[in-house]
Amino acid sequence: MKLTTKELTACALLTAMALGLSYLENFFPLALAVPIPGVKLGLANIVTVFALYALGTGEAFLILFARCLLGSMFAGNMNALIFSLLGGVTAMAVMAALSRLRGLSVYGVSAGGAAAHNCGQIAAAMLTLGSTAPLYYLPLLLGVSLLTGGLTGLICACLFRGLASANLTKG
Amino acid sequence: MSVRRSPKLRPAPWDLAVIFAVLAFALACGALVWGGGTEGLTAVVSVDGVEIDRFALNGSAGERVYSANGYALTAAVSPDGVQITASDCPTQDCVRMGTIFRSGQSIVCLPARFILRLEGERETNSTGVDAVIG
Amino acid sequence: MLKRFLPLLLCFFLTACAAPEPAQQQLVAMDTVMTFTAYGGDAEAAVEAAAAQMRALENALSRTRPDSEVSRLNDQGSGTTGAALGELLQAAVHYCGTTEGAFDFTVSPVASAWGFTTDSFQVPRPEELEALLPLVDGSAVTVEKTGDAYDAVLGPGQSIDLGGIAKGYAADLVADYFAASEIEHGKAEMGGNILVWGTRPGGGPWRVGVMDPARPNENGALAGVLELENAYAITSGGYQRFFEQDGKTYHHIIDPSTGYPADSGLTSVTVVAQAQGRSEPGKPGNGTMCDAYSTAFFIMGEEKALDFWRNHQKNRPYEDAFDLILVTENGRIVVTEGLAGRFTPDAESGYVCETVS
Repeated sequence: MKLTTKELTACALLTAMALGLSYLENFFPLALAVPIPGVKLGLANIVTVFALYALGTGEAFLILFARCLLGSMFAGNMNALIFSLLGGVTAMAVMAALSRLRGLSVYGVSAGGAAAHNCGQIAAAMLTLGSTAPLYYLPLLLGVSLLTGGLTGLICACLFRGLASANLTKG
Repeated sequence: MSVRRSPKLRPAPWDLAVIFAVLAFALACGALVWGGGTEGLTAVVSVDGVEIDRFALNGSAGERVYSANGYALTAAVSPDGVQITASDCPTQDCVRMGTIFRSGQSIVCLPARFILRLEGERETNSTGVDAVIG
Repeated sequence: MLKRFLPLLLCFFLTACAAPEPAQQQLVAMDTVMTFTAYGGDAEAAVEAAAAQMRALENALSRTRPDSEVSRLNDQGSGTTGAALGELLQAAVHYCGTTEGAFDFTVSPVASAWGFTTDSFQVPRPEELEALLPLVDGSAVTVEKTGDAYDAVLGPGQSIDLGGIAKGYAADLVADYFAASEIEHGKAEMGGNILVWGTRPGGGPWRVGVMDPARPNENGALAGVLELENAYAITSGGYQRFFEQDGKTYHHIIDPSTGYPADSGLTSVTVVAQAQGRSEPGKPGNGTMCDAYSTAFFIMGEEKALDFWRNHQKNRPYEDAFDLILVTENGRIVVTEGLAGRFTPDAESGYVCETVS
């Protein structure tokens, strides 16, 4: 995949933003309201959704891999990588597919992505622990993901609207 | 920078389809997971500290007989848990123990140096303890 | 080619280590299941050495094996013993003295009369007990260190059983191995006793459940939960070993002054003290102390035990401090001040918990 310097820079900036958003999430302790380990707002998905539409599927994947890898390194916990990747790739794949469907808005795509992300993480947890125990959390997590997905969708919608009014989008 | 394409920015009717799909999936998972009770529990049997058997509680219903240091122990496995129903050891502590059904619980037969332990979730829940004395 | 990826590869070294896997050993020794778990440092060496030491200790101390050091000592009335038994005997004599005979390791002829040694339980006749009681006198035993060995002399007709103190001593030995191997976190579970080292690997103190003496057959029924770091916690209770005859229950903790199972109003006693690896040679470790005292306090009863605790530092400044959890027959849990905030009673157990100073 050949990227122009401009595209490469955009990817790098978006990766940095995704990492920043991941860090920002720590300040919203969702775990206090929803008693499931690992529950989070998923703000980094905003970048994934944006990149999906703005740059394209390939670039979005690139950003995803980069942010998962670097995120795990910065946290000093390479074990988290498999969780991150499995969740992110699943979300990515689902959102790429959903974004092709003309009937869906950014809210539907985000919600679908958030749900897929949680499925991926639970799958990673089951693989790591070697037991089906994490499945207990999935139903509630899926419910929460509809809300966090909606939030992500809302922020993305505002983002695109803002770009549109700055005359940066075409069509 | 200019964007390649822009998504629909207002919630669309088809979004509901996604929401229903996710909810349906969540309910299906819920039924699957809370239908059982001992999902994910593995029984580990060891004699003299050496593991001799390991089986999942679910799907291994029936009796299992073990021979340990000259004693014969019979374990009855059901989805509700596992217990030693018969043993020819002198103290019978293992039989009196009853059914164990939670991760971390174990049945021990001292004369036979036999330990049957349930393993499962690695996390201790909020009331879980690391060990019990007394 | 490599030059381009070298910076990326080097970044992998920035990652911290993942949570360590524990080293673990499990064995049956001294009539109980022992599980040693250690993290960090030389964990494998620590648990293996601990397990080997337990087997060696059992060989020396077993009352049922005729060739053990204790059996030979009981048969001959005197003899030379190795370091482990010698140290243990000295500690036993010491604690027999400090508890004024409540802890008495020479009570075994009486315990045998009840059948506790051979698991063939029976209620002895009063005349039998009367005849055996004079033999119960820990102060009649002398132990002297000569070089590397110890010379022990029992009083006429006496026989000893160090079961009431052996597991505590074993815990001290394990603490030594933990300290020497510089492990970061660890726990040694020996039947109903525990030694915890450092904090939990996931952070925070180790959570140790105390079994509810009123519901010993109910899995996981607790009186409460103790939060401990670097500590010994040893429990004694009649419910641990007993038999029933003619509708009465007889348990294994014999009161040395009466010859009958202690009836002091307590159902369990837990003694907690700090663990740091052995202090000085010649001074019994805190594990030994906790074991001896838990038996003694069960026999003494609530008032005497609390009295002992209150005056402990004053009367015996050479011993380390300890704390108590007493569970009484009338539904109360008494916790001494040092454990306030570190013991949480279990709601289901229905006990009323009070802290005393």
